[in-house]
Amino acid sequence: MLRAPLLRSRGIATGALKARTTSQWHPVQRRYLADGKRADETLIPGTGSSKAPNDIPPPPILQTSPVSPSNVPLENIPKSPPSPETTGSIASVPPKTSSPTPVPPTGTGTATVAPPAGNEPTPPSPIPKKKSRRFRTFLLTLLILSGLGYAGGVYYSLISDNFHDFFTEYIPYGEDAVAYFEDREFRKRFPSKPVTTKHHEQVKGENKVTIPSHSGLAPRVATSDRKTDLGAAAPHLSAVEEGKQKADTAAGDPKIAEPSKKITAVEQAKESAKPEEKSSSHELLPKSSLPQTETPKVEEKKVEEAKPAPPPAPLIDNLEIPQAEEPVVQDIVKVLNNIITVINADNASGKYSLTISQAKESLSKILTDVSALKSAAQKEAEDKIHNSHMEFDNAAKELVRRLEVEMKDQENHWREEYESEREKLAKSYQEKVAAEIEAANKIYEQKLKNQLLEQSIQLQRNFTDSIRDRVETERSGRLSKLSELQSEVEELERLTGEWNRIVDANLKTQYIHVAVEGVKSALEHADRPTPFIKELVALKEIASDDPVINAAIASIHPSAYQRGIPTTAQLIDRFRRVATEVRKASLLPEDAGVASHAASLLLSKVMFKKKGLPVGDDVESVLTRTEVLLEEGNLDDAAREMNSLTGWARTLSRDWVAECRKVLEVKQALDVIATEARLQSLLVD
Amino acid sequence: MADTTETPKPAPVLRSRPLSESLLNEKWDACLASMATRSALGLSFGVVFSVLLFKRRAWPAWVGLGFGAGRAWEECDNSFKRASAPNRDGLRVLRP
Repeated sequence: MLRAPLLRSRGIATGALKARTTSQWHPVQRRYLADGKRADETLIPGTGSSKAPNDIPPPPILQTSPVSPSNVPLENIPKSPPSPETTGSIASVPPKTSSPTPVPPTGTGTATVAPPAGNEPTPPSPIPKKKSRRFRTFLLTLLILSGLGYAGGVYYSLISDNFHDFFTEYIPYGEDAVAYFEDREFRKRFPSKPVTTKHHEQVKGENKVTIPSHSGLAPRVATSDRKTDLGAAAPHLSAVEEGKQKADTAAGDPKIAEPSKKITAVEQAKESAKPEEKSSSHELLPKSSLPQTETPKVEEKKVEEAKPAPPPAPLIDNLEIPQAEEPVVQDIVKVLNNIITVINADNASGKYSLTISQAKESLSKILTDVSALKSAAQKEAEDKIHNSHMEFDNAAKELVRRLEVEMKDQENHWREEYESEREKLAKSYQEKVAAEIEAANKIYEQKLKNQLLEQSIQLQRNFTDSIRDRVETERSGRLSKLSELQSEVEELERLTGEWNRIVDANLKTQYIHVAVEGVKSALEHADRPTPFIKELVALKEIASDDPVINAAIASIHPSAYQRGIPTTAQLIDRFRRVATEVRKASLLPEDAGVASHAASLLLSKVMFKKKGLPVGDDVESVLTRTEVLLEEGNLDDAAREMNSLTGWARTLSRDWVAECRKVLEVKQALDVIATEARLQSLLVD
Repeated sequence: MADTTETPKPAPVLRSRPLSESLLNEKWDACLASMATRSALGLSFGVVFSVLLFKRRAWPAWVGLGFGAGRAWEECDNSFKRASAPNRDGLRVLRP
């Protein structure tokens, strides 16, 4: 301990010696390297040894103990360097002999310039090189570590799901790396399954399916072609034409046409055919009988008239037929006259006069024939009319006659029917009337019977009522006395009940008195504290419904009746003991220590004792008063006096006061119970 | 009335609480005992020290005795001072 500073100072002092020793003990004495000696400062052993001790003061403690370097081990040499004198001797001694350790051979003056040993830790020249290498190594290690960490993270994320989440979330490219490894694992597990990628077709370079741009559905603006169709001839406009066509088609090949259409076609064909028929039939219809019959004749006449050549020169007279009243004849005459005028105009009367005259004659003949025919026909018609008139008259007469007969028959028939019906109706009505009369009779009889019954019932009721009234009057007269008797009996019962109650109450109060007396005697006659719980229980049972007594019993402390209360003698005895103790502590100040306690103890011995009833609040007088009161038997006041103490005196007398209080409580409760019992006995009447 | 038959309860176990008048005496007993033991302990320590360190001089023994007695006195004093005031252990003290 003490050598350390000495060593330090010595190290400074022996600079030259140190230099030598360093040259000698170079590999061992590393601490001298820090001195940083330069090459020019180094001292050659021979010269430096004489120079060094001059400028450096000698070390303060120069121990006499000579140190031989041969004896000292190498480790101890720097701790106890030799004195300058010895160093000088050491320097003269060749170092090879002194050091047994393998020391590199040191020539003269080559102490510090000597090449460093192999185990030299930090040569000064490679320091900058090492800095760059350190940086590089740092980078390398960082890279390797981060790579390892990354690989470890990937591996661990393959194992742990939790770490997988963390890794993929926070490490850049972590997700890709993990996904790559997972994919590899998956492929290794299911090598047969082909990997389906999204871009399967395109990647493999197969023929692409090109879909033309106009394929599929395409939007188109609606055109109005249909409107023109509506205007064209179509079945919705006219069914006739179509029917015609249809008929044609039906005629062409009826097999193809549908049956319904066929029917329509046929009908239409018929309709179309009708007008032609009509036209043909119109002509066939006879328009009028006379002109039709006349016209061929006229034509014939015309032919006849046309046949003969027209007469030449002589003018033909116009036909004049006065009796020609009929229009046909007049027409014919007019035609003939026209012909004649024509002939006359042509001046061919010569040619046609003969024929005309013939025609005139034939015409007159015809006229006569016609008139004859007319008359004949007229006559025939008149006959016919007459005949038919006759026939009709006959038929009418026959008809009238037949009708009359029939009507008579009918009348007779109706009359008979009517008669029979009337009889039938009359009979039925009579039956009905008879039945109704019978029913009415029956009802009436029943009513009468009912009335009779009612009357009888009424009579009976009246009878019973009258009887009852009689009986009631009788009863009220005689039996009313019974109820009076009953009420009297009840009154008596009530009275007896009341008396019973009074007697019970009296008994109860008596019991209470007895019980209270029992408790009191148990307390008075005990020479030591005895439990009086049995007596108290008896008292409570007797007066369980009395709230005052219950409250009084409840006011007693349970420990009082369980363990008993001390007797008066015991209380006084204990008071004496308590009083001596209290007296010891009577002179204590407020916050007393040991010294004051001891003083109080000692001084209380020499105090005078008071007698009688002294006046004052001090402990001694209180104790004296209490004693006197106790001797008088006034427990209550004694307890009050003791309760007025303070401090240590109060603490010491606490138990005694509590006991006094217990006794007083019991006494008070018993007094209350006794008073209550007395009150009960007074309240009974 | 019959339902109020009370069976007398068994008396509770008596606690060995010291009587109030003997409180002070007990304290004195404890004080004297502690005084004796602590004085003896101090004295013995003093003797040992005097033998070991102080070439059997007398004063270390007296000093030890004084230490022991003083400690006992202090304890005693505390107990006397605290006893007169009501015990406030387990009660929370409300300060304004």
